Amino acid sequence: MMIGPYPLDLLALQLVTGVALGAIYVLVGIGLSLIFGLMTIVNFAHGAFFMAGAYVGVFLYGYTGNFWVSLVAAPLAVGALGLLVERLLVRRLYGRGIDDPLLLTFGLSYVIVESVRILFGLTGIPFGAPPALRGAVDIGIGYFPLYRLFLIVFTALVVAALWLFVERTSFGLIIRAGARDRQIVQVLGIDVSKVWLVVFALGCGLAGLAGILAAPLQGVTPEMGIPVLAEAFVVTVVGGMGSLAGAVLAGLLVGIVVAMTSLIAPDMTKMAIFALMALVLLVRPRGLLGRAGALG
Amino acid sequence: MSGALTAPAARGGTGRGGRLLRQAARHRVGLTLAVLALFPFVAPYEALAVNILVLGLYALGFNLLFGYTGLLSFGHAAFLGAGAYGTGIAIVHGGLHPLPAIAAGVVLATVIAAVMGFLAIRTRGIYFAMTTLALSMCVYYAFYQMEPLTGGENGLRGINVPALNLGLVSLPLIDPLVKYYVILVFVGTAVWLFSRLLASPFGAVLEAIRENENRARACGYDVARTKLVAFVISGAVCGLAGALNAIHLSIVPIETMHYAMSGEAVMMALLGGMRTFFGPFVGAATFLVLQDGLATLTSHWQLFTGAIFIAFVLFLPSGIWGEVVARLKRAGS
Amino acid sequence: MSGAILRTEGLGKRFGGFRALDGVSVAFPEGGVTAIIGPNGAGKSTFFNLISGAMPPSEGRILFQGQDITGLAPHRFTRLGIAKSFQITNVFPDLTVFENVRVAAQARRVRFDLFRDRAAYPDLARKAEALIAEVGLAGREERLARELAHGEQRALEIAMALAADPVLLLLDEPTAGMSPEETRTMMDLVRRLAAERTLILVEHKMKLVMDLCRRLIVLHQGALLAEGTPDEIRANAEVRRVYLGKSA
Repeated sequence: MMIGPYPLDLLALQLVTGVALGAIYVLVGIGLSLIFGLMTIVNFAHGAFFMAGAYVGVFLYGYTGNFWVSLVAAPLAVGALGLLVERLLVRRLYGRGIDDPLLLTFGLSYVIVESVRILFGLTGIPFGAPPALRGAVDIGIGYFPLYRLFLIVFTALVVAALWLFVERTSFGLIIRAGARDRQIVQVLGIDVSKVWLVVFALGCGLAGLAGILAAPLQGVTPEMGIPVLAEAFVVTVVGGMGSLAGAVLAGLLVGIVVAMTSLIAPDMTKMAIFALMALVLLVRPRGLLGRAGALG
Repeated sequence: MSGALTAPAARGGTGRGGRLLRQAARHRVGLTLAVLALFPFVAPYEALAVNILVLGLYALGFNLLFGYTGLLSFGHAAFLGAGAYGTGIAIVHGGLHPLPAIAAGVVLATVIAAVMGFLAIRTRGIYFAMTTLALSMCVYYAFYQMEPLTGGENGLRGINVPALNLGLVSLPLIDPLVKYYVILVFVGTAVWLFSRLLASPFGAVLEAIRENENRARACGYDVARTKLVAFVISGAVCGLAGALNAIHLSIVPIETMHYAMSGEAVMMALLGGMRTFFGPFVGAATFLVLQDGLATLTSHWQLFTGAIFIAFVLFLPSGIWGEVVARLKRAGS
Repeated sequence: MSGAILRTEGLGKRFGGFRALDGVSVAFPEGGVTAIIGPNGAGKSTFFNLISGAMPPSEGRILFQGQDITGLAPHRFTRLGIAKSFQITNVFPDLTVFENVRVAAQARRVRFDLFRDRAAYPDLARKAEALIAEVGLAGREERLARELAHGEQRALEIAMALAADPVLLLLDEPTAGMSPEETRTMMDLVRRLAAERTLILVEHKMKLVMDLCRRLIVLHQGALLAEGTPDEIRANAEVRRVYLGKSA
């Protein structure tokens, strides 16, 4: 069966490819949204953290030859970096204007990118899927790369774990309450600074995880985080800032739009993402799942 | 912090510093131009002086939104780039005289600013930075893609303007000093218009929006429309800077439109002092001299620019010139 | 009711599942002071925000001088002649007192003049100075708004609201957080202002408004409980029940 010039199977495969790409966007977007929702901080170093995660993972893989070690270590290392950044830098800006943490993390992204250039060189490192995840499997509509399938499943598990964490734990309750109304958290007598520390580190760790997961798709370069930052912004604007479900929905949507455009009009792939955002801004400025009040 | 150099009827105490400040504020355009006129003689070399002049104008245009309206845009490279490409394309592909080519660049930047602004002002607060960044990346990719016109990855080359022919006289732009002063005429005109704008009733509305958007609305101002007008003017000024830069460099690198270039506007405005009129030029000079000096020492100068910027955000958010003005004001009262 | 300057018909507001205001239909007579009172959480501030245009209602209509103004943008309300002073102090903190009032006055005359100097409109400066004097802030013109005492900031807000030449002035708890001295000054000002225009006042201190206003509207749990003259309200059994023990 054909739809336009394309066989249905091909379109279906491209759709799954989109979901796999979307998995990366989902993880990056959730991290950004989490930090914003609770702390009203736009983390401009999010792309740099993404890149740092990829480098940590690829570097460790060179030593251990074990992708699973990298998969655990990269988010932990980047999360730890996030802890330091919150403690030493971001914390000093609480109570100042909302632009200040944004500006600070913007400067920080330069420092991180340049540090990686100093440590690992300017050119980047090629990186492929680990042997166990190479090849393709038949998923009924055709052969699909095993690694991309893994990406979908693994991300689904991470998102499910995050959902349980946010919905079922007392700490998650604080996050949800704080995202709705930050004053509530303060009134309840909870040590907000600890919550912010954890959330900032968690958001950064998710960026790091997304980085190592993306590494086998494209290799690593010091600049790989820059387009990701812009795309993560699209995900949060489309999904609705601070909404985790919105980040998931928008991340998948962006992935699918990218995959479909690269099939139909390859030249337009990069721009399609932003066209999607422009459309959402026109029709629903608060984002697909954003609350009206969160726009302030 | 905003009083001293935002309105000609400046505040400031009755002491000597205060009087000095009031005088300086009243003649801010003249003083700015005097400093810029003498600048090539103190700058390390002339090309750097032109860079500072052009990027100072870029930072000034950006600061209309950032410092005066309270809107942090991370997409102004789109306007710098549109101005540069518009002018470059008009000269290279259209064979136009430099003057109408500059006009073409400014018009292109203005149109792109109108479209981007229309979309971006639908978001408020911190969203604005994200939206402008994303939209400017879209413009970047569009120009990157249009290779026959823009040269794509390699940039637009061959913008040769050896002389500015004005009928009666022909100014040799080959001479760096002549080029500097020709560009200064444009920058000076823009600075004068810009100063008028800030002192105008419209400038007062911008400050009101920065101070308290809801109150400005309650006063009866159409905040969205005012922001859009400010956005478009800001884009046009940055477009002029881009147009002049294309003539200065004879090439438009694709990086002119890149997100990093938007970040440089933010850095320059903040380093210099975003709540002051002259701050963006001070910031541009600081940033470019610093970059120039560091680049001779290390290829990793961005590490230091990043760290210095962080230090400013943490410890001196009012910027170099902002701090100077604040100290003078304290001394005066 | 004839001679009503402002009327609401079945006005309601929901926040998610929470019904902050439900089916309030009232009419405000032209001239004098009408006070909206009620215990905490009665929906006074929500009602104020709806009739001042700060937020659109979920249901119902608002009529100003017989014209339906439901859902108009906030700045349109001001241009029609409805000005307000917020409960939370709401000025331009880093501008001078003079510039605060001048820019408020400017909104009525000139919004998109990009080239002339601000000083080219001396009438606006004169108007600002007169208003600053009227609210008792003469001599404070060159201070930054954020440097003023709380009571002075509220007075400044009223000067800014008056700068719009309102026919209807809305004040949300103008004496909140004020010392007894500041409160007395503010109530004197309110009385003076009411001589020339219609005032609607939200207040939860009932005593304060009883001898001042022509009419009272009592809200309770998001609905209209009673309306009438001060004497009628005093005699109203329902109102007494709600306010029992809350004789503030």
